[in-house]
Amino acid sequence: MTPRISRRAWDALTSLKLTLICLGLLMVLVVACTLAQVEMGTFGAVNVYIRSFLVFWQVPGTTFRVPVFPGGGLVGLVLMLNLVAAQVKRLELSWRKAGLWTVHAGLILLFVGEFVTGAFQVETQLAIEEGQTLNYVESPRQMELALVDVTDPGHDDVYGVPESLLASAQTIQVPGTPVSLRVKGFYQNAELIRREPGEGGSPVDRGVGTGVRVRQLPPVSGDNETDLRAAYVEPIAGGRSYGTWLVSNGLGAPQSFVHEGRTWALSMQPRREYLPYSLTLKKFSHDRYAGTDIPKNFSSLVQLKNPARGEDRDVLIYMNQPLRYGGKAFYQASFGKNDTLSVLQVVENPGWLLPYVSCVLVAAGLVIHFLFVLFRSLKRAGVGVAR
Amino acid sequence: MALAAALFLSTGCQRDEITHFRADKAPQTTAARTVSPAMVREEVASPPPAATGSLKWTLPRGWTDSPGSGMRYATLKPPIAGRIDVSVIVLPGPAGGELANVNRWRGQIGLGPIDENAMAAARKPLKAKAGTISVYDFSSEGDAKTRIVAGLAVVDGNTWFVKMLGDASAVHAARSDFTRLLQSLRRDSSN
Repeated sequence: MTPRISRRAWDALTSLKLTLICLGLLMVLVVACTLAQVEMGTFGAVNVYIRSFLVFWQVPGTTFRVPVFPGGGLVGLVLMLNLVAAQVKRLELSWRKAGLWTVHAGLILLFVGEFVTGAFQVETQLAIEEGQTLNYVESPRQMELALVDVTDPGHDDVYGVPESLLASAQTIQVPGTPVSLRVKGFYQNAELIRREPGEGGSPVDRGVGTGVRVRQLPPVSGDNETDLRAAYVEPIAGGRSYGTWLVSNGLGAPQSFVHEGRTWALSMQPRREYLPYSLTLKKFSHDRYAGTDIPKNFSSLVQLKNPARGEDRDVLIYMNQPLRYGGKAFYQASFGKNDTLSVLQVVENPGWLLPYVSCVLVAAGLVIHFLFVLFRSLKRAGVGVAR
Repeated sequence: MALAAALFLSTGCQRDEITHFRADKAPQTTAARTVSPAMVREEVASPPPAATGSLKWTLPRGWTDSPGSGMRYATLKPPIAGRIDVSVIVLPGPAGGELANVNRWRGQIGLGPIDENAMAAARKPLKAKAGTISVYDFSSEGDAKTRIVAGLAVVDGNTWFVKMLGDASAVHAARSDFTRLLQSLRRDSSN
């Protein structure tokens, strides 16, 4: 790269025009993402437009995808580079500019925070009924095949096989068990239909799935839509096949087989993360303004128990007042079942503090800069008066 | 910044390993299953694999029925206001066993599992032309109660479930008609 080209590239990277272009692109992305939520749902639209480096358009009638617009990730990255480069180029390293340096640091931290959020944030749910105790959270979008050793009267050994492994349609050895699962088919979204008497062609020869026909459907991504996963699996243990089973989160009936005296249950369920503590919902409250049905407040009184820490305390979770515990934030999100079911959105984001820190930095930087300019003006005014 | 980009691109590459957890047999499971469409679908289960042994019933006055869609054998509708759903489901074989299904129903209204002895105490046998039907009646905790009344019958190797689930007040209003419906269950001689 010649010095001239390098200089032009540096000028372009540090230009205000690039800043404005990036801001304009972000505005377009936000509008497009908002409109796309009608069809794709919030999660799907944000993934396509904001948390991507390129926005693709699928050529109708084909599986060919063409990049047509920079995604939020790319624009954010360029904007961050632009901000850093401009700061390095224009801002002198002096106490006089301390405020502006702080403001820029805050803005850069804001971008970094969004990247950290995009990479590491995990959102799950805890749907809990009054009187119920749960020690796990569930993913609203990911499923797993649960192989559960239910033999022991005191506890269950739960082995969760993520759907990404099922989709690869291979033989999966479940660590710590004598069981292998041969995956004979996996459906991201399916409809389960009653099999007519005498209807053949089912690969299933065990369990309630023998009476079920599976019809593949395209995946859905709307906020109120959920894919119904289905898979054909053949458990093999000790060199013996236990037949082919249909597992699906659309099948309510329990299914299990016995191997060498131990009972293994098979089911498809939302992906679970078990916690080293438990929550009991003592009371869910749906407060309304007097004489109306207008909601005033939603709150969940939960009992938090963590035997390892010797903790046993009550916590009130209400709107914008989450329980932060063990790296997770439990927000009041929804409710149901005649106000006896509380749904908590559980967010685990190692970078959750970064936006707060960046806001403090930006505010502090502006205050510092303002005070500096104020004192300088007062000083000049004082000098003028003295003259 | 390159690190930030790498972090960004690494999204979706997490948690692809098989997990293991030892969980106490505590009250848990199906509360979450009431809040998403998939979970509503979980209320239904699978159909008979064989042509033998279909059941018929006599509808109480004002009730209507319709063939089940998807996995349901039939959906019944009582003339009762409020949230109430009556379904007929038939599964091949023991369908996981009576205890597992009873605990599944209990889980659907947020109740914890029970053992064989407690199930036996909760079981109310009901005579019908199709045979003896095991009837269970459970209500949830809380101020606004949800109630489930379910009958289970084994006919020709298939397990039939007739289940009424909804607001406690609506289920209470339909309870006597539902009992008469269970008593009317009989083999369909047209098969």
